Amino acid sequence: MNKVAIIGVGHTKFGKLEDKNLLDLLCDASLQAIENSNTNDKDFDAVYVSCMLAETLNHMTGIASALVDRIGLIPAAADHIKNGPASGGSAIKNAFYAITSGLCDMVLVAGAEKMTHITTPGSITSAIATITHHNAERIHGISLPSLGGLLTRSYMEKYNVPKEWITSIAVKNHKNGMNNPNAHFQKEITLEKALNSPIIADPLRLYDTCPVSDGGAAMVLCSAEMAKRFCDTPILITGVGQATDTHIVYEREDLTVLKALQICSKQAYNMAKKTPIDIDVAELHDAFTILEVVESEDIGFFKKGEGAKAAFDGITQIGGKIPINPSGGLKARGHPLGATGIAQVIELVWQLQNEAGKRQVQNAQTGITCNFGGFGNNIVSILVERM
Amino acid sequence: MSETTIIWKKCKKCGKLQHPDHLRCIQCKNTTFNIVKSSEDCKLLTYTILTAPPSEYRDKKSYAIGVVEYSNGLKAIGQIKSQENLKIGMKLRTKVGKLTNNLDGVIIFGIKYEPF
Ligand SMILES: [Zn+2]
Repeated sequence: MNKVAIIGVGHTKFGKLEDKNLLDLLCDASLQAIENSNTNDKDFDAVYVSCMLAETLNHMTGIASALVDRIGLIPAAADHIKNGPASGGSAIKNAFYAITSGLCDMVLVAGAEKMTHITTPGSITSAIATITHHNAERIHGISLPSLGGLLTRSYMEKYNVPKEWITSIAVKNHKNGMNNPNAHFQKEITLEKALNSPIIADPLRLYDTCPVSDGGAAMVLCSAEMAKRFCDTPILITGVGQATDTHIVYEREDLTVLKALQICSKQAYNMAKKTPIDIDVAELHDAFTILEVVESEDIGFFKKGEGAKAAFDGITQIGGKIPINPSGGLKARGHPLGATGIAQVIELVWQLQNEAGKRQVQNAQTGITCNFGGFGNNIVSILVERM
Repeated sequence: MSETTIIWKKCKKCGKLQHPDHLRCIQCKNTTFNIVKSSEDCKLLTYTILTAPPSEYRDKKSYAIGVVEYSNGLKAIGQIKSQENLKIGMKLRTKVGKLTNNLDGVIIFGIKYEPF
């Protein structure tokens, strides 16, 4: 098996980007990544593009073919990878497989979403809710935030946890986002303001949820053998995992357990011969504050029921024992669905290269992600290390 | 809304109760099932009140959604008729009827639980 290295990354600003369409975002991020990896004159074997709602929100198909045409990568193989909000993680996984198998040497992964031009109330919620189980969930008007609300209440009840412990994650992630020039939100919020923000799906409030964002992210990957030719500080992907769980959320034994994350993170740890204790920094999928809580437990950092308290006590802030979402997470960096899984790994690349500026986690050598597709029914986890 | 029976599947091999959509058992891959009907009252396991509905429910400002459990252990999800005085553990009555029209104008039927 060939080892796989990330040799360059590209990341547009996330937020409301009025003058950019979906293809612009894919191209901007891709060209940055190619420039950053010193592969301007190189041919690519494969391109994997991640985007969740191109057909629905942008009326476009064939975006992978469109990208290679626009940025001059013909005749590279080009595929559009779709796994809901975990499309980015899935695209990186496919690139990893392609290189580790020895079939491809040079691969581009690019993800983007263009969402903020849709302004009809309920339209984005409805488009994302198409990923829920049609006959059991979707017909009843169940949205992703409402599943977040159900989980928040179950968790608070089961572990006797006050809401402020959970919501403190929004405060932490906004604070981290302040130092991320690409973040959708770059301002601090107070716990009081977050706890009193408008209700979305009680007890989930507006500040417990990530924004709707535009943005693109991309990376160039190659075999580790070749990596030093292009980059002084390549970052290795040493562990990849992906697992599914029941499509109907209530068919799980325990709503507060993300079994797919337990399985896929274990795959990633085992592949890399690491354990949760070895992790210096993590990027988790905090589409809702409760998700960062539950994920921090099921990825192995805390016992069940202890994640919210750990966040409230500062253990997951930069400078804490296990910093989570130094980028600001989905909450502050923003959540352009198809770009998110790639942006998570890019943040870890910058952290491991000691290039994260004011949000730098000291001496970060190993990091892991959780990229959450659907409502925990299709999760990807990626583990990266310094070379 | 009318009183109704909801139909579920019970795996003939391992006994796992599950949603009728499953063609193979989610626990053991078996393909033969007994039909199980739930018509009795159920218990509220968790709930939320959604105040930002998807466009299929654009005519509503808010509605409650609950996960319930029947005495045979079967769980289900549906809307709840009331948004007030909801409490985990409370008893609910199962009703089925029209919930909304989808974006193509088709009538959507589903479960709506009623407090006593
Ligand atoms: Zn079975």
